[in-house]
Formats: sequence, structure tokens, C-alpha cells
Amino acid sequence: MNLLVAQAQQIEAPQIDYGAIAPLLVVLGAACMSVLLEALLPKHQRWAVQLVLTLGTLVGATGALIFYATSERPAQGVATLAGAIAVDSPSLFLWATLLVLAFGSVLLIADRSVEPGGAFVAQAAIRPGTIQDRAQATKTGMQTEVFPLTLFALGGMMTFVASNDLLTMFVALEVLSLPLYLMCGLARRRRLLSQEAAVKYFLLGAFASAFFLYGVALLYGYAGSVKLSAIATAAAGTDRSDTLLFAGFGLLVVGLLFKAAVGPFHSWTPDVYQGAPTPVTAFMAACTKVAAFGGILRVLTVAFENTQWEWRGVLYGVAVVSMVIGAVLGLTQTDVKRMIAYSSVAHAGFLLIGSIALTPEGTAPGVSATLFYLLAYGFTTIAAFGIVSLVRNSDGEATHLSQWAGLAKRSPIVAGVFTFLLLALAGIPLTSGFIGKFVVFSAAIEAGLAPLVVIALVASAVAAFFYLRVIVLMYFSEPAPDGPTVTVPGAFTTIAITLGAVVTLVLGLWPTFVLDWAGTGTFLS
Amino acid sequence: MSLPAVDVLSQFLAQQPEPVQRVVDTVTTGEAIAFWVLGPLALAGALGMLFARNAVHSALWLVVTMLSLGVLYMIQQAPFLGFVQIIVYTGAIMMLFLFVLMMVGRDSSDSVVEVIRGQRLAAALLGIGFAVLMVGSVGRALTSVQSKGLAEANTTNGGNVGNIGTKLFTDYLFAFELTSALLITAALGAMILAFVGRDGKPARKTQKELVEERFQEGKRVGSIPGPGVFATANSVATPALLPDGSVSEESLFEVIEATDSSTLSDDLAEVAGTGHQPDSHALKGSES
Amino acid sequence: MLDPYLPLVLMFALAGAFALFSVTAAPYIGPRRYNKAKLDAYECGIEPSPQPVVGGGRMPVAYYLTAMLFILFDIEMVFLYPFAVAADKLGLFGLVEIVLFVATLGFAYVYVWRRGGLDWN
Repeated sequence: MNLLVAQAQQIEAPQIDYGAIAPLLVVLGAACMSVLLEALLPKHQRWAVQLVLTLGTLVGATGALIFYATSERPAQGVATLAGAIAVDSPSLFLWATLLVLAFGSVLLIADRSVEPGGAFVAQAAIRPGTIQDRAQATKTGMQTEVFPLTLFALGGMMTFVASNDLLTMFVALEVLSLPLYLMCGLARRRRLLSQEAAVKYFLLGAFASAFFLYGVALLYGYAGSVKLSAIATAAAGTDRSDTLLFAGFGLLVVGLLFKAAVGPFHSWTPDVYQGAPTPVTAFMAACTKVAAFGGILRVLTVAFENTQWEWRGVLYGVAVVSMVIGAVLGLTQTDVKRMIAYSSVAHAGFLLIGSIALTPEGTAPGVSATLFYLLAYGFTTIAAFGIVSLVRNSDGEATHLSQWAGLAKRSPIVAGVFTFLLLALAGIPLTSGFIGKFVVFSAAIEAGLAPLVVIALVASAVAAFFYLRVIVLMYFSEPAPDGPTVTVPGAFTTIAITLGAVVTLVLGLWPTFVLDWAGTGTFLS
Repeated sequence: MSLPAVDVLSQFLAQQPEPVQRVVDTVTTGEAIAFWVLGPLALAGALGMLFARNAVHSALWLVVTMLSLGVLYMIQQAPFLGFVQIIVYTGAIMMLFLFVLMMVGRDSSDSVVEVIRGQRLAAALLGIGFAVLMVGSVGRALTSVQSKGLAEANTTNGGNVGNIGTKLFTDYLFAFELTSALLITAALGAMILAFVGRDGKPARKTQKELVEERFQEGKRVGSIPGPGVFATANSVATPALLPDGSVSEESLFEVIEATDSSTLSDDLAEVAGTGHQPDSHALKGSES
Repeated sequence: MLDPYLPLVLMFALAGAFALFSVTAAPYIGPRRYNKAKLDAYECGIEPSPQPVVGGGRMPVAYYLTAMLFILFDIEMVFLYPFAVAADKLGLFGLVEIVLFVATLGFAYVYVWRRGGLDWN
């Protein structure tokens, strides 16, 4: 009989530290509100209201973050929501990075001065090339769903870098990816290219997710839990078969490396960067990189720190491949956006060096270095894509390198800023790129990865060549008579580019403050 | 306890083996029979999917496989997985497959030209290699890893589904709530990519707006009287007559009014009763 | 051991045999008088509407929306099932969670509805 009248015992509700996760809740809640506004507002009000809501959310979430970070909190961080989210110092740093980079990206996304009506199509469901499509090309409306999608992606990224178990991490991975797939396909110009990019990104992304999920399943089989700390405990001193552990690790890492666009899992990057609307490319290049490497850092240091001798060689090789692919294939590119895409693959290699720089004593000098690098790289990239969106001809953006010839004669300021940003990407002193590379490489040497650093230096030198090629092209070539014009940007794009360039400069001159902040704490384990 | 139904039920429950024994790692006869019935069915479905010429038939074969698997899961004491298999895979995912097939075109077929030379061979080799690797590692792990806590999970706290429920809403509550963000995004995406709104066209007025508009104009509120068709003649030019026998101007068509009156004189005369009267030969239609 | 399942197996066998018998026997023992109406697909008594000729029977992409929305609420139901089973133990906290989940999906529903995604054109 006891089966029938089993007493219902109440389960304890998990403790939730609302203060710690307030930034995350603000972003996700605002994303839902944004969908509701999208449903209820008349068409002509949407853009303005959505923009105010999105920017307000970013400011509000940053405020909540600062409030929490400066208040009394446990030094090693807290795990809340039944241990699903770990709010520790790296989490807070990554959240702040994501929020500030998203602010710049949203400004680019919202801009309507460079292209009348913005970079996004008015109605994406209208088939490209039809009569209706030609009719809508003259209209200035845009698909304002981009704003809630951006917020959802941001919420996913923030969850991803803070998730303390692999299941939450997987859902967060999907939440950050799905909006990006959609946003890639919404370009106003060259719509077929844009839609192709979206499909390609979606298919390969789904593939990567499957790898990730398979890895999670195997690791669950190994450790009996999806919690990162439980996997670490299970891997430390056990007589269990290692097959599941390493098969799971391999599959999991493939999924993560794909999102981070590390070679040889980079094949989507050039096409997607080129096809997506430039503001979305900026958002992807900056924020997705931060999120993916935030996740990689946490997984490697928290869950797999004590098995590092088994996997370090593999990721060593991946980092080399990524740097070589990025540097060598970048040389052959004739399109600015593709060139920056390959540059991002090379940078992913550098970032991976920082991520695997763990010492045998269990410290991770690479973590703070990688965090700094991510912040610096994100700002530089956003500003660079902001500049790319300004150089236009009658077909939209003029991204072919030959069209950039003699740009300095047409617009010395734009060429000057772009030169500065390229120098930062190359890692020339007085820019944030130099400091970033410097701290990552010194962390790698500390962790005993000196040969890798040598390879990285060679790769940087090769990569510097293609940045310099663009600079030479802009300054020492004659502009073509029918070449592109440089649009004078409105306030939003100007602010975004200025923000990126100024931060690049400031971090190059006075990096101490941010470096200190990045090094304040370690991952909660 | 005196209710006979409860007695029967409790006796039935008493006859059942103990819960822990029910989930131990043995295969009962019923389970074996079900496996040998459902296993071949699942395999047949999978083969049918591969060899069916029509894409829609392929999809339907796949349904057979999925349903068999769903029932197998339930027999293996994973009722939740079984239901999800049937509700989500057989229901939703298969329907999506069919929709996509219909969109691509029922009769369209794949191009069998290899875009990259040797692609198929390489894909096959790599695929087989991957399968061997995965089956090998999982197979080895299955033999050397003992399942732990399965019996407990399936018998206590409301069994399989109940335990999933408590886990989902306590330990994984954030992942669960985050799923709703995923679903909203899916809805947004479907709308953006597949739905052409009416935004371009002027919005259709509602009934209420139409009525208010009509009253505000202050003209005629009711409908305009129709012509006197079929009253005495079958021409739309026939005006309606008011109760006093006069012609209702409103029932006349402007177009007809504008036409030369001589072309309509016959009709007018007929209505006014001044035309020629039908005679006894009218029904034969021999006149005029 | 086999006892409780024997009637079940017998019933399955009988049902299968009956179905097989009826289908195979019908063409042999029944009268064979075919006409066009008999060979047509039956569609609730109406004339079967022909498939669109253009593009090999392709359906417009708008139907995809219906499929996608169905999946959305199908997934919602999958989560409702374990909630319902564990509801008495979860108490108020579980209720708040599931209401939050359903409300969030409600936003998606409102969006689709207001935009006219549910209208049948």
C-alpha cells in the first residue's frame, strides 16, 4: 500500500543569490521584454524604443555588475542556482567585457546614418531578387527583431562564461548561437551571400553542438555528474577507465574550439564574417570570441586541470595549426572582411596559448593574460569593422582590397584610425595588442611553453605582413577614379569607433589597471 | 481499506516483485519478447528509410523506427525517454521533416554529382572510422563501468519521471528556464525568415471602424436599395419602386443613367406598364 | 514466467493474423467492379484537390511557420510532463518556475499572434 499513498515530501528550493546574477537576469529579462515590445508597438516606434531599451539594459546590467563587484562578496566567488552558475572574479571580468563590447556592437547595429535604414533588411522573408525585394530595397525600415536577438545572444554568452556545469553550458551555447545564425542572414545588401553565410554557420554550428553534446554525455558517463568540479574530482585519483574521459574531452573541446573559430575548426569563419551584416560581424568577432574563450578557460582550468599532461600536447598542436592557418591564408586574401576573419583565426591561436598555459603547481598564469587579451582584441575588432562599414560605393560596402587603394588621400582620418587598429592587431608597441601578446607569451613561458611562443612570434611576424600590406596600399597607392567614397558616420558609429580606438590606445599605454583587475581572482572550483 | 477495488489493487501490487528486484539487471521474458518483436521492426524501418525511392516514404519508414525505439525505451524502464521519443521525435521532428520535404518538393531528387572529387569515399571512410572509434570506446566503457544508482532512481520518489522532475526543477532549474529563451528565439527566427507580414499594405479596417466611419459621414447609413430585377423584368437597369410607385433614384446605376435613354426605353416602358403587353404567344418566344 | 504475457502475445498474434487475412482475402472473395470514384483517394467526401503542378509539388514556405510553432509548444509539453509528476513535491517553488517558463513562451506566442503569424490567408 505504501506505493499508493507515498507521502509527498517537499523538496528544498535551491538558494539563489539574486545580487550575484542580477546582470544576467537583467539582460535576459530585457530580452523577453524586447520581444513583447516588438509584438505590441506599431512599426514606426519600434526602432527608437528598442534601441533605448537595449542600451538601457546594457547600462543597467553594467551598473548591477559594478554594484555587486564593489560590494562585500566572497573572494573566491559564489556558485548559485544549485551550483549551475559560478560568479567569481573571472566571471565578473568576462561579464563586464561582454557588456561593454556589446554596447559598442549595439551602436553599430543601430546605426542608420551610414546606410539609409541601417544594415538590416526590412523584411527578411521576402525572397531576394523578386519584385517585392526590389520594392523594399528603397524603403528605410529594418527588421527590429535584431535587438531582442542581440540581447538573447548576449544573455547566452554571459551564461556560457559563468556556467559551472556542462548542461547549463550547452543550453547557453545554443542560446548564444541561435540568434547569431539568424542575424547573419539579415543583411540589406548582397542578401544571397548573407543567407548563404547564415545557412553555413547554422549547419556547421549544429554539427559542433552535436560534438559538444556527445562529449557531455561521455563525460557524464565517466564522472556521474555534469558539474565541472565533479569531473575534476573524478579525474583526480581514480581507477576508472580513462576512455570515456578523453573521448568526452575531445568531443567537448571540438565544440568549444569551433565556436571560438580556432583552426582547423575555423572553416566557417571567413564566409560568415564576409556574408553577415558588418555590425553583426563585429558583434560575433568580439563577443563570441570572449564567450567561447571564457568557456574554454573555465572548462580547462576547473574540470581538466589535473589531467593537463594528457591533453596539453593536443591543444598545443591545435594552437600551432590555428596560428599557421590564420597567418598564411590571411596573406592570400583580397577582401578586407575575409582578411580580418583569418586574422581572428590567428588571434584565436594566440588566445589558445594563454588558455593552455597552466603550471604543474596548479596555478594558471594564462587566465588573467587571456582575459586581458580578449578585452583588448574585442575593442580593436569592433572599431575595425566599424571602419569597414564606412568605405562604400553604390553597391554597399566596398570590401575588396583594391578598392581601398589610396584611401588616405580621400579620408586621412579614417585611414589613420584604421592604420592604428591594424597595428594593434599586429601587436606593435603602444597598442593594446602588444600588451596582450606580451602578457600571454610571458604566461606561456612561465608555464613551460617556450617553443610554442617562438612559433607564435614567427606567426605574428607573418601576420604583421598582411596588415602592413593594407597600410601601404592605403597610403602609397593612387586612388582609382571610380573608387569608393568614405561615408561620414553618424553619432552611433562614430562613438563605437572612437570607443574602440581609444580603449586600444589606453590599454596600450596604461594597461596596469585592467591587468590588475583581470588578475584579482581565479575560477571557482 | 474495505473498498473491494482497493483490496484487489493492493493484492495485485503485493503479487508484483519488489521494486528493487524489478529494476535489477535481468532481462525478463516479456522484455525479451518485446525486444525481438520491436528490434526487427526498428531495423526494418531504418532499412526502409534508406532504400525507399520516395522521400516522403523514407520519412514514414523512419516513424516506424522511432516508434519502436520509443516503446523499447519504455520497456527498459525509461518511460520519460520513451514518451519524449514519441512526442518530440515522432510527433514534432518528423512533422518538421515532412514539412521540409514538402517545401523542397516531393518529386525533387538530389544531384548525385560529386562537387569535390573523392568526397564520397573520404566521407564514407571517415564516417566508418568515427563510428568504430565511438562504438569501440563506448563499448569498452560499458563493460568496465558499472551502472550506479539506477535501481534507486527508478523506484524511489515517484520513479523515473518523478526524479527527472525534481532534478529538472531544482538542480537544473537555470538550464530549464534558459530553454525558454531558446524557444522564443526559435519563434522569432521562424517569423523573421518565413513570414511576410502585412506591414507594407494599409491595415484592413475593423468592422467597428467601418461602422463609425459610415455614421460620421452622415450620408445614407443603411444599404442602397437594389434594382428591381426580377420584380417585373430581369434587367439590372430596372429601377426599384418606392411604396408610392415612384422610381427610387438610389437604385439606379450611375453607369446606366449615363447611357443613352433610348437604349433603355424598352425596359423603362416595361416597368412603367406602358410597353406592349405580353400576349398569349409570349411564352413561345416567337415575337420580336 | 511466461504466464502474464501469454494472453497478450496471443492477442497480438490474433490481431495480426486477422489483419493479414482480411487484406489478402478481400481481392479474391470480393466482387471486382472498379470505377474512377472507387480508385480515387478519399478526402472527406470532397474532390481530392490536385497537388500544385509548379515545382514538383512544393509547398509554400509559410507552412513551415506552423510546423515550427507546433514544435515550440510540443517542447513545452515535454517539460510539463515531469513537472506534473513531481508537482506535489516541488510545491510553490516549482509552480513559480513553471509559470515563469510558460509566461516566457507566452511572450513568443503574443509576438507571433500580433504579427499575424496565426492568421490564415
